[in-house]
Amino acid sequence: MKLSCLQENLNRGLGVIGRAVAARTTLPITNNVLLATDQARLKLVATNLEMAISYWLGAKVEEEGAITVPARLLTEFVNSLPNDKIDISLSPQTKALGLKCARFEARISGIDAKDFPPIPAVDEGVTTRVAVETLRQGISQVVFAAASEESRPVLTGVDAQFDGDSLTLAAADGFRLAVYKLSLATPVNQKTEVIIPAKTLAELNRLMADEEETVDITINPNKSQALFRLKDTELVSQLVQGTFPQYGQLIPQSYNTRVEVDVAEFLRAARTASIFARDGSGIVRLEITLGNEPTPGELKISARSEEMGDDEGKIDAVVAGEEAKIAFNGKYLIDVLSALREPRVALETTNPSSPGVIRPVGVDNYIHVVMPMFVQW
Amino acid sequence: MRTLKNTTSRIIMHVDLDAFFVSVEQVLNPELQGKAVVVGGRPGGRGVVAAASYEARAFGVHSAMPLKTASRLCPQAIFIEGSFPRYRAASQRFMAILADFSPFIEPLGLDEAYLDVTGFESIYGSIPQMAIAIKQRVKGELGLGASVGIASCQVVAKVASDLSKPDGLVEVGRGEERAFLAPLLVAKLPGIGKKTGRILESLGIHTIGELAVTPLSLLKSHFGVSGEVLHRSANGIDDRKVEPPAAAKSISRETTFAQDTKDRVLLRATLRYLGERVGADLRGRGKQAGCLTLKLRYADFTTITRSYTLRQTTDSDQTIFQTGVELLDRALSGEKQPVRLIGIGVSSLVEPGRQLALLEASAPRLEQLNKAIDRIRNKYGFTAIQSGQTLRLKDLFPSDDDGYTIHTPSLSR
Repeated sequence: MKLSCLQENLNRGLGVIGRAVAARTTLPITNNVLLATDQARLKLVATNLEMAISYWLGAKVEEEGAITVPARLLTEFVNSLPNDKIDISLSPQTKALGLKCARFEARISGIDAKDFPPIPAVDEGVTTRVAVETLRQGISQVVFAAASEESRPVLTGVDAQFDGDSLTLAAADGFRLAVYKLSLATPVNQKTEVIIPAKTLAELNRLMADEEETVDITINPNKSQALFRLKDTELVSQLVQGTFPQYGQLIPQSYNTRVEVDVAEFLRAARTASIFARDGSGIVRLEITLGNEPTPGELKISARSEEMGDDEGKIDAVVAGEEAKIAFNGKYLIDVLSALREPRVALETTNPSSPGVIRPVGVDNYIHVVMPMFVQW
Repeated sequence: MRTLKNTTSRIIMHVDLDAFFVSVEQVLNPELQGKAVVVGGRPGGRGVVAAASYEARAFGVHSAMPLKTASRLCPQAIFIEGSFPRYRAASQRFMAILADFSPFIEPLGLDEAYLDVTGFESIYGSIPQMAIAIKQRVKGELGLGASVGIASCQVVAKVASDLSKPDGLVEVGRGEERAFLAPLLVAKLPGIGKKTGRILESLGIHTIGELAVTPLSLLKSHFGVSGEVLHRSANGIDDRKVEPPAAAKSISRETTFAQDTKDRVLLRATLRYLGERVGADLRGRGKQAGCLTLKLRYADFTTITRSYTLRQTTDSDQTIFQTGVELLDRALSGEKQPVRLIGIGVSSLVEPGRQLALLEASAPRLEQLNKAIDRIRNKYGFTAIQSGQTLRLKDLFPSDDDGYTIHTPSLSR
């Protein structure tokens, strides 16, 4: 193997694949990055066995070949090099990767590329294409609601229902549910439901932060793997096996109180209250009072700590229905409010122990259901 | 119609046991009655007087005085080492009697307490009659004398009870606080010790009355912020609430095995039992815990603690036990030594605010279960109902209604 490329491109590529490098692993080679020539390009691959990221960068290839080297070592080394041409060569006998850049030279001991876990090829199955901006927004509004604990594996994933030209993403962690519906750029030929690990989607969101315009998605026929293809990057992920809860029935169909407020004001008040709620169970109390023309209605957001003190914030609100009191975990409020892009939001409640529903005003493709906390008032 | 009382119309009672340690000793050993008795240690010892009988006080002996000085002043006194557990037991019975009279109780140390008795005159006829009833019960049940001060605030009530000692009762009427305090020496005021006393002396302030009319600015320049407290106290103003002592920050139970053990079944059973006791205590206090700690001491006395922060606060026996077992299994994997002591505790106690679940219904059912078990145990004793895991303990430890009698006394609490 013999090639040359620019430090800038190699550095960028190592950054892209870096998150897929295994952190704690029983398979040491997954700490490595695979470098392989691929026609006139250099391919970088990392995998933690749940997710694999491949990245292609332009290179002048003189001799084909492949090797794996410790990802962290290579990344740190390349990152500290000047932006110049890097000559890369592999000594087949010693499995040492030689790098030359300006007046720097390094040799890194590698492990044979044949020992690297094969990256699944997902080239047939259900395929679709979606605009990056659309998918990014959808992911960021549901992914935080997925469970972080492994006790119910299906909940660590995001349910994805592909149907015609729509994709519905849903995540729930047992206390809250987020559902976002978006349009696909090209429709699927067959209705498909899979559960994508939340970590994968969070990673995909990071990869999509760059200038890409669309992303191609392929789900393999037995729904065990999915491929997300960007311009120079491919992400292949295992899918979560199991049945996602039937969440449709968890969304309340009616309410007794509807309060509409400014998202930024609500978020600020929720953050302020959470400072005082931190000490306790995160309890943030909401009190909704009706307006009386010309006085607007009011949403009072408060928290108290036996030891530290208490706090309350009031914001103007358009209130319909009955006055209400309800308490939520402050973190859950902050999570959803900070993910919203619309300026106004509505909270619908039925009673203090029934789910609250949060909907951005003016759009109907997002719904967030959050269970309250049972507290003494 | 009665209106809400504001702080200026409160009635506070200060109940103080007379020569507490000595009196307890005298009850246990009647031969000591009527004699000069000093609790604290041997006459020539290096300690100080913890308490002195009124007979010994007549010779100038007082608490915190070096024992050597006491024996010089009153050589005929009977000196006793004293026993803290005896005093603690008496104190608990004393506080229990007070709690029968008013739920608004603030213990101060072992032998005194404030009671907010506002509005209680309708039950006892008058507040002094209530005080007499308290004194009679304390005398009848504990054999101890108590002095009582009644006033509109804590500081005046305390001065009043002090003035009434022994076995006295002084009531300071509303509006008479300043006149009552004025002629007394400043040292009678709570919070004025030797140092403050000396400074006041140097300012020419001898009585509380003189202190009351001293300009606040002068007191502040000498005593800082506490100058204001002094000034208010001297004027009979004190609007502190009568409050129970701050709540516990953690709850734990532990026990040492009669023999070091590696028996996982026994360890789990004991953990379950201890966890249930912790859970019951937690629920009894109306709290939930955010953190759980397992404590193990191995045969060689190395002691480890392993903590786990729960994602959701809990008061459930099941969560405490399951988390405890996980910590136990993790701690014991790779550990070759037998276990000498096991304990489990909870901390980060918060007011209960249960996060309701969206997808499952088991949490409320467990909560109902634990509540039902608590009710049964409160009525019929701890061992009246138990979980399968703890049944194993039945063959190993004697039990009574209050639970298993395990090696460590803390468990029988």
